[in-house]
Amino acid sequence: MIKLVATDLKMQFEHRTLFEAKHLHFCQGDVVHLRGDNGSGKSTLMKILAGIQTPTQGKIEAQGFQPGPWWRSDSLLGKALYLHQHPYLYDGSVEYNMTYALPAPLREQPDIKQRISESILHAELGHLLQQNATLLSGGERQRLAIARAYIMQPKLLMLDEPTSNMDKDSQQLVLNMIAKLKHQGTGLLISSHQSCELTQLCHQEWKIAQQQITTSANVTSSYQPLSTIASSQSEQTKQEQQYVSAN
Amino acid sequence: MDGSWSALIQQAFGLLFSFDPEVWSIISVSFSVSLAALLITLLPSMLLGFTLAFNQFKGRWIITNIIQTMQSIPTVVIGLFAYLLLTRNGPFGDLRWLFTQQGMIIGQMMICAPVLVALSQAAFTSIDRRAWETARTLGVSWPRAVWALCRELRVPLLLAVIAAFSRILTEVGCSMMVGGNIMGVTRNMPTAIALETSKGDFAQAIALGLVLLILALILNFTLGMLRGKAQPRSH
Repeated sequence: MIKLVATDLKMQFEHRTLFEAKHLHFCQGDVVHLRGDNGSGKSTLMKILAGIQTPTQGKIEAQGFQPGPWWRSDSLLGKALYLHQHPYLYDGSVEYNMTYALPAPLREQPDIKQRISESILHAELGHLLQQNATLLSGGERQRLAIARAYIMQPKLLMLDEPTSNMDKDSQQLVLNMIAKLKHQGTGLLISSHQSCELTQLCHQEWKIAQQQITTSANVTSSYQPLSTIASSQSEQTKQEQQYVSAN
Repeated sequence: MDGSWSALIQQAFGLLFSFDPEVWSIISVSFSVSLAALLITLLPSMLLGFTLAFNQFKGRWIITNIIQTMQSIPTVVIGLFAYLLLTRNGPFGDLRWLFTQQGMIIGQMMICAPVLVALSQAAFTSIDRRAWETARTLGVSWPRAVWALCRELRVPLLLAVIAAFSRILTEVGCSMMVGGNIMGVTRNMPTAIALETSKGDFAQAIALGLVLLILALILNFTLGMLRGKAQPRSH
């Protein structure tokens, strides 16, 4: 089974302990709500699991992944994809950002092209493909970041407050995209300091409180966003479908 | 000084546009030596700049300070150091590179490397760390992630390259010490200007000075345009 296993994890900044955890495991298919107050270390924990930050103490193992090249066989990078609360978009078009992480030869493969088309469709970004990504609104940026992750087909995905400061329509689109990923079996770790529609998707909870990470099972949600995808397709979506058929 | 200013400038233009072999040989030596020094130094310096900006390790502070200091060392002192390295009794004397273009290239590399490292370190330090984290978490390889940062920082990095190139193309001290100002071999524009002025042959000195002036104008206009195009980004 594809999973990340963290043992004896501890994070300190200078002499201040941010959090500790004896044992954490984040598996493909899990949908986990990561709770904690502002400054409790939610983003730091996600960055540690993504391999872009090193913990003060502890070990994180990636199990079940295809072995990478020998020079990065131990690396966690690229295993669990981390999405920043405010995603970084590179200077270039929306299309460039969307396909940035794919090596050029892969972009021409039919299944990848199909996935790119799907991500454009779900994120409703078809009419913005040639626009400079740095000029997008907050909601559009978040949708683009999730679409970029969607193309990469991550086994594990960590979303840092993905719907904060977003309008209702964008929130709904992001929710639908996340639900789609959940449906496809992607393991999701979603941080949010409060319960919301998004956290109803989760069936586990990790809580950071008093410098300890505790895990517990949560109530399974009855939220069914996938059924809303088809009905919410607007005129804009038709344009995207035209793009898809043209490509 | 013989002749009027206008006559001298006319003579200088005459030398340039009649493609005087001596003048153009000097220009060619200048450009080939400086471009070679820049190209050899460019990649390792940028990578060192990146490493110093993105990694915390013991000795980082001291290395950064040494590089900053090296930027302000007079070129003649760097020339003296290169001379001592390349002289017959020096550690690299067997190479016999003293008073050759190779020797000049080594000297100019020692001048332009600190400029490139310091300016690229400053550029890499200024970038939003999420640019790097995003590339890496998406599974992009290390070289492609560095390339993505270079693409984001293309304006400040190009400014670093132009600044380094300007410094080595116009320096006189090191070229004089290590090159020896040998006509057709190691005489470049700054050393030729110094020599011709001391001989009283102002026409050739002005002709070469004009080339440097035009080049300085082109580089500065390019810098100005790049600075003008660079926009602060909202993330």
